[in-house]
Amino acid sequence: MRAYLWFELRRLARDPRLTLFSVLGPVVTYLIFSELAGGSDQLEGVDATVALMVGLAGYGAVAGVLSVGSLVSQERAVGWLSQLRVTPLPPWQAVAAKALVSTLSGVPSVIAVGITGRIQHHVELSAGRWIALLLLMWAGTVPFALLGLAIGYGLAPQLAQPVNFLAFLGLSVLGGLLVPVTYFPDALRHLGHALPTYRYAELGWRSVAGLAPTPSGLGVLTVWTVLFATLAAWAYRRSTAHR
Amino acid sequence: MDDIVVRLTGLTRRFGPVRAVDGLDLAVARGTTLALLGPNGAGKTTAISMMLGLTQPDAGTVALFGRTPTEAVRAGRVGAMLQDSGVVPTATVREVVELARALYPRPLATDRILAMAGLADRAGRRLDKLSGGEAQRARFAFALAGAPDLLVLDEPTAAMDVAARQAFWSAIHRYAAEGRTVVFTTHQLHEADEFADRVVVLAAGRVVADGPPAQIRALAGGRTVAFDAAGAAPEGLELLPGVRSVQVRGDRVVLTTDDADATVLALAAGRGFRNLEVSAALEAAFLTLTAIGSEH
Repeated sequence: MRAYLWFELRRLARDPRLTLFSVLGPVVTYLIFSELAGGSDQLEGVDATVALMVGLAGYGAVAGVLSVGSLVSQERAVGWLSQLRVTPLPPWQAVAAKALVSTLSGVPSVIAVGITGRIQHHVELSAGRWIALLLLMWAGTVPFALLGLAIGYGLAPQLAQPVNFLAFLGLSVLGGLLVPVTYFPDALRHLGHALPTYRYAELGWRSVAGLAPTPSGLGVLTVWTVLFATLAAWAYRRSTAHR
Repeated sequence: MDDIVVRLTGLTRRFGPVRAVDGLDLAVARGTTLALLGPNGAGKTTAISMMLGLTQPDAGTVALFGRTPTEAVRAGRVGAMLQDSGVVPTATVREVVELARALYPRPLATDRILAMAGLADRAGRRLDKLSGGEAQRARFAFALAGAPDLLVLDEPTAAMDVAARQAFWSAIHRYAAEGRTVVFTTHQLHEADEFADRVVVLAAGRVVADGPPAQIRALAGGRTVAFDAAGAAPEGLELLPGVRSVQVRGDRVVLTTDDADATVLALAAGRGFRNLEVSAALEAAFLTLTAIGSEH
């Protein structure tokens, strides 16, 4: 499995489109949005510039993680996944490696936006806080990796890409990763609070403020994770059964 | 028993009302290079897919080395080149070969794999930058890398040019000479004829002939007799001596016959002909055989 993991990581590192989309996008957006926020504004319990930093780091991470899912769809369509299934690599390891690689593809965005926040807005966190933030923003992408795999195994490439994009856009906008849910009307804000994207960013906001995750936040994330895992398992089984 | 590498028993797979593979029985002995020959739609790919455990049969069983296909694949005894199976972009030839080597317990040396696939000078190239034939050879390298005891190739040469084909088949020949078993599919009779030591002809999901290449040719012994239709209806031609089938191709009538001499003599005595052409095309034998199969 290690060989396959390395193989996939090298391929990921070589795909510049992904990096462009998931790193440059949020960095530029952060530079623009954080200038609009007043220096002393508070959002989600932390300074606005920090809240936006976490939100956009998460935005880029979700973008990166989900886009690996649509790559799975292409690999399936060209027969590469069948080709792997006639090697000794057990299928569950292929899927696990893919899930791990897709969560890792969210990490560059978190690092890049974090560095931007540090340089542009002098975001001051202790080394431990930075590390905790990075680890949480990485671990929190698990439900999105599963959603990406569900889309990748479930849909043909022509469909996977737009569905992926819509899922990404809907979840990240409504979950308050771009514009904080504080500015939303009541109904939308309640919706936002129920989404995994909001609860994912909440992990980061609370960690920056030195607070533990909320039970309700973890609960919502767990429910979505189970839901997406079930969907991914179903899509995987369907994709292999009908060939 | 131990010397039977592949054993298919009553293998059947339906797609809706169509029986893609219909009660296929086959035992392949160790060291055989077997061609699964048939026209498009004969069920070759479906049979291969079931043989490898990628498709579940509706009925019948598959045993590879006396085990289930999944077990044999996990044990690293099987390498396969699937039809149209793509290559992943952004990986290089060497990376794909090294991946395959890492997945199998006793792989071949990288240099040998690259040489056998004719890709020694393409090792650092990205797969999406290869020509169609090179990409096909990269997939061959991937299938071969683990030194599998059973190598399964589904239409392996479709995208290769003539020189690449020759190199490919001589590599296969050397590989098989080490006591390994090779099963490949083709719809080209000459490939089966030249490179296999056993040919199984498949038509409409059934075996219609099975034997050494020479025997397959002799079985049908077919020749074609072609001449201008010249506006006359082809009625009654199927009654001429030796004729097995009558086809009208544009302005030409093509008879497939067991006895070209008798057919031509009867033609000359009867309706006559213009632009007569008699050929011993292997394709005729193939058509004859598969036509028999389709009548089931």
